[in-house]
Amino acid sequence: MSVTRAEIQRIAALAELHVDDATAERLEAELSRILDYVAQLQELPEGGDGDGDTRAVRLRRDEVAPDRLEAPPADFAPALKQGLFLVPRLGELDRGEDESP
Amino acid sequence: MTDFRAAASAAAERIAACEAKGTHAFLAWSGEIMLEQARALEAARADGPLAGEVVAVKDVIADRWFPTTCGSRILEGYRSPFEATAVRRLREAGALVAGKTNCDEFAMGSSTEYSAYGPTLNPVDPARVPGGSSGGSAAAVASGAVDMALGTETGGSVRQPAAFCGIVGIKPTYGRVSRYGLVAFGSSLDQIGAFGKDVRSAARLLAAISGRDDRDSTTLDRVPLSEPGPAPTSLAGTVIGVPREYLPEGLHAGVRAACDRVLKKLKELGAEIRDVSLPHTKYAIPTYYIVAPAEASSNLARYDGVRYGQREDGGLADVRAMYRKTRGAGFGTEVRRRIVLGTYVLSAGYYEAYYGRAQRARERIRGDYAKVFAGGVHALFTPTAPTPAFRLGENLADPLQMYLSDIFVCTANLAWVPALSLPIGRDQGLPLGGQLIGAMEGESTIVRIAQALEAAIDKTAEVR
Repeated sequence: MSVTRAEIQRIAALAELHVDDATAERLEAELSRILDYVAQLQELPEGGDGDGDTRAVRLRRDEVAPDRLEAPPADFAPALKQGLFLVPRLGELDRGEDESP
Repeated sequence: MTDFRAAASAAAERIAACEAKGTHAFLAWSGEIMLEQARALEAARADGPLAGEVVAVKDVIADRWFPTTCGSRILEGYRSPFEATAVRRLREAGALVAGKTNCDEFAMGSSTEYSAYGPTLNPVDPARVPGGSSGGSAAAVASGAVDMALGTETGGSVRQPAAFCGIVGIKPTYGRVSRYGLVAFGSSLDQIGAFGKDVRSAARLLAAISGRDDRDSTTLDRVPLSEPGPAPTSLAGTVIGVPREYLPEGLHAGVRAACDRVLKKLKELGAEIRDVSLPHTKYAIPTYYIVAPAEASSNLARYDGVRYGQREDGGLADVRAMYRKTRGAGFGTEVRRRIVLGTYVLSAGYYEAYYGRAQRARERIRGDYAKVFAGGVHALFTPTAPTPAFRLGENLADPLQMYLSDIFVCTANLAWVPALSLPIGRDQGLPLGGQLIGAMEGESTIVRIAQALEAAIDKTAEVR
């Protein structure tokens, strides 16, 4: 299974990761090799999965409880106003085509 | 009454000596902070189960006293506003926290060479890696700088470095130790584990941090583990399975010789050795390298320069350009590789072929273990790593080769079962590790067997 340079750039964009051309070239070769290796999972026969060891999935009661913070937010927030965290101002939001409305 | 201040001063001297040799086990440590903790423990007349023990903490676990960088540039200088439950329990047990240890960036790696702050050297042979990702913690214990250390595992990151450095490392059952304050990597796999110079010391550390925590809903609803008893002198009535997939043709001759010696010793101790099979083992590495990067790509989305991370925004007009630049500059080679791999296997069109199939393979691997343990086997014995510690730089050019060094350890993480590594001899001076794997919640069984074995073999003897 080989991956193309364009796919690497598309995936990097999905992951919000800047990847320069040299890195993309390296990732193309490395990912293709890793995907070739993991392709052996295709041999796995269908059906008959697992053993249903239920001890691992025992669930607790679904109860809503208050957050148990170590300290109130005012003690650790760099800046707080009317109960809201203040964060540094960002640039103008990008209204690109892949931005949700 | 424990002399906490003397313990702190002596540890500070040992750590300084370890670091002066260039081991680079620590990213941050402080004799003064240890003394401050010692004075507080003294004033409180602390007499907990770890009173006066000096413990180092892997830098992916949050603590208020030291920065938490995860071995990454993106978190350089980051200070957590709270401490992890495991660290709080250490202090409540009377331990002195010495500092934070080096690790592969965000715990992704098998050699500690992927730390943004430079590699840790193996104290046994400084030309070799200490293993990873918890290599700093393993080196800190192996060099004698600290008594014990916390590490973390997603796919063998405590046991493999324990084997490479000649010490003991335990990964508990998934859910045994709270992950509150552990920086998330692969949430269905991550567990905090314990290093010690011997089985007893690692087991004592694990006992102190174990047990349910209301702040982590994935913890098992159990009381903490008990302290280990004395080493048994007989293993009569104990059945130890040897999965044939873990002793393949062509296995490193030193590793094989060490395992043969252990199996002979276990028989002499009265244990029954049984040949067993875990037939889906060959799918473990492919499964792990789909599941773990997939989870990592999601967990690491929070390092965007807004929620967490050093922001790179010089001259950038829009927020997405800032995200991409921040993440591109802040993450190192291996983290970027895994984020891209994880995003790829989760993306539309590939999800079922990779992630869906890996989830099914994981169920098979869990099923293999459940069947073997249901058949009356108390524990499994295998080598921990396929080779002794490799040389610095040896596997850096080939990520797949690096991944394969975890071939014997990552199944226990996929199956959630407890496992430990203990030293079982040396090959040309390099430590070799043997692994005992238990059934779900079977920590005390593997600890008991490991104690008996440890007392019966010379762990520093050459095996061939």
